[in-house]
Amino acid sequence: MDLKILWMYHDLMDLYGDKGNTQVLKIRAEKRGIDVTVDTCTIGEERDISDYDLFFMGGGADNEQGLIYQDLLSRRGSIEKAMNEKTAFLLICGGYQLFGKYYKDQDGNVIDGLNFFDYYTESTDRDHRCIGNIALETEMDGEVFKAVGFENHGGQTKNVTTPFGKVLSGHGNMFKSGFEGFMNDQVVATYMHGPLLPKNPKIADKILMRALRKRHGEVKLAELDDTLENAARETMLKRLGV
Amino acid sequence: MDIRLKFVQTMQHILAKAGRGGSLPGAFALKMDPHFLEKFRMPETVVLVTGTNGKTTTSNLIACSLSEAGLKTINNHRGDNLNIGIASLLAANSDSSFRINADAAVIEVDELTVYRQFKNLHPTVMVVNNFFRDQLDRAGEMETIIRKIQEVTEDFEGDLILNGDDPNVCRIADSAKKARIHFYSVARQAASKEVTDEASEGKFCPNCGRRLVYDYYQYSHIGRFGCECGFGKINPEILIEDIDYEHQTFRCGGKVYHNFLNTIYSAYNCAAVLCVMKVLNLNSDNADETFRNMVLNEGRNEVFALSKPCVINLIKNPTGSNETMKFIISQPGDKNICILLNDNDQDGHDVSWIWDAHFERLNVPEVKTIVCSGLRAYDMALRLKYEGLEDRVKVIEDAKEAVRWLDEQNLESHIMATYTALHSTRAILRKEAAAHGS
Repeated sequence: MDLKILWMYHDLMDLYGDKGNTQVLKIRAEKRGIDVTVDTCTIGEERDISDYDLFFMGGGADNEQGLIYQDLLSRRGSIEKAMNEKTAFLLICGGYQLFGKYYKDQDGNVIDGLNFFDYYTESTDRDHRCIGNIALETEMDGEVFKAVGFENHGGQTKNVTTPFGKVLSGHGNMFKSGFEGFMNDQVVATYMHGPLLPKNPKIADKILMRALRKRHGEVKLAELDDTLENAARETMLKRLGV
Repeated sequence: MDIRLKFVQTMQHILAKAGRGGSLPGAFALKMDPHFLEKFRMPETVVLVTGTNGKTTTSNLIACSLSEAGLKTINNHRGDNLNIGIASLLAANSDSSFRINADAAVIEVDELTVYRQFKNLHPTVMVVNNFFRDQLDRAGEMETIIRKIQEVTEDFEGDLILNGDDPNVCRIADSAKKARIHFYSVARQAASKEVTDEASEGKFCPNCGRRLVYDYYQYSHIGRFGCECGFGKINPEILIEDIDYEHQTFRCGGKVYHNFLNTIYSAYNCAAVLCVMKVLNLNSDNADETFRNMVLNEGRNEVFALSKPCVINLIKNPTGSNETMKFIISQPGDKNICILLNDNDQDGHDVSWIWDAHFERLNVPEVKTIVCSGLRAYDMALRLKYEGLEDRVKVIEDAKEAVRWLDEQNLESHIMATYTALHSTRAILRKEAAAHGS
């Protein structure tokens, strides 16, 4: 069995250790005997996105976001094809924002999003950001569990109808908003850095199963030893009192 | 006579008798009078040092070199670089009418708050050494820090000393129209590389947005870069050449100097110092004397005599950690390692930076065990698991127990600790070493 991952704008959208997510996906799949390819793609590089089972895009600063968005918009057709062919998506922070209607930055400049979903993001001024540890409860593909991460975003994302999770501690999509991220049966989009996946191996496995489903149908993943993963997550949940 | 100044100085006097210094008096002063810092009459020469990595070391080297050259110099040598630390420094060295009793002040200033303190301190020389990703939970985005520093230097009419090999520092020259600009640089050397996996900044030209082209990288995104539009064409006044790692020397302007640490980043610190000496018209022999006698600040390559030597270093961001790991790995022989990861205010609450640092460097046979300790010990252990180091990882959350374990192994060890873990761990190491001495 094989799995093809596309790591979009690996060299630009790489804030806050988001690259750790690809390491986790790759290694957890390989431990299950799956052959994993991770290809990268940056500005101007040609790729048929629908060739891939999993699309990953991390967060970047406003500057980087400004540099990539036109390239991203030029790929809309290819991304739509991938969506129709059931590629799984993991989008963090800037990646999350740019799949919505638009992003308005701190100076009031508006960047068009890919407009796949109805949410949109408006940034607050430079000195007010949602920053800190965050814990949430999510229900992914029929299973309910808690997840932890670190949020650091000025953008306030509004009009999300199907959030990724319910906030147990922290801000979420907006200041004290109660809900975090966006999710449907293909896409996980979130502000959670940390990075997201190392301490939340269940999310990693659910995303792997979604990605494998595209070409291999329902795949059951063998249990792994997650002692360190769970200890790191429990430390934070305990500290946040949730 | 200012009653508040008198109060702060009395407090400092009492604390000093009790063997204590620190930022407490400065905190009191600023609480009583938010304009306290504005009142001082600064000496003729005021050198500010800011940037991400190496501020404390660089400003201490500058202060020592000025002293060697005969100037009475004050500086915040322990790295108390926020307004309260600076207020303490100035109060401790001022007469009752706010006049500073010194020829020169060398002040390390936190890069995130320098814009608030700049005007009060009346700098005549400002050194900016580098910008690396560091504590983004405090800073927000790197761009914000650079823009704020650009804003304060716009009207600066003094000497601006810039690391010409960091594009984010270099760009300050373009907005500081009134300042006299001086670049320093380090030429290609044995460890320079044409490609890198360390650089997360310096990808695009801040002027025109094209991709920057690098001839070589020294470490992280520091190196010789350029752009079609002309950005990066600098004419360094101080150029360090011929770094000799065997004899721990380098050459500058035909003269050979001692490198106080055998690393590339220490050469950059030296370059900044030599540039200050040149700008102030002081003899660079005084700097060389300082480089030779430099005892690094506490927790910077500090060695404790446990059963076998134990070296402790501060780590706080990916670049510093990468360089520290390169140094550890370059030391011959088997060793144990201990990483103390805390996430208190001064460490930064966000520990995601450990995923941007190259901990795979520790995956060499000479590294026997890696003890993970501190408030986020399990995060660290998990990071190492993803570099195939799981079998060598040991979690001991309590720092005292971790040090005890290292001591019992009878093997050379290296500790890397984040800021708040550093001082407590040094105290533990002192006790542990003293037990061996008796």
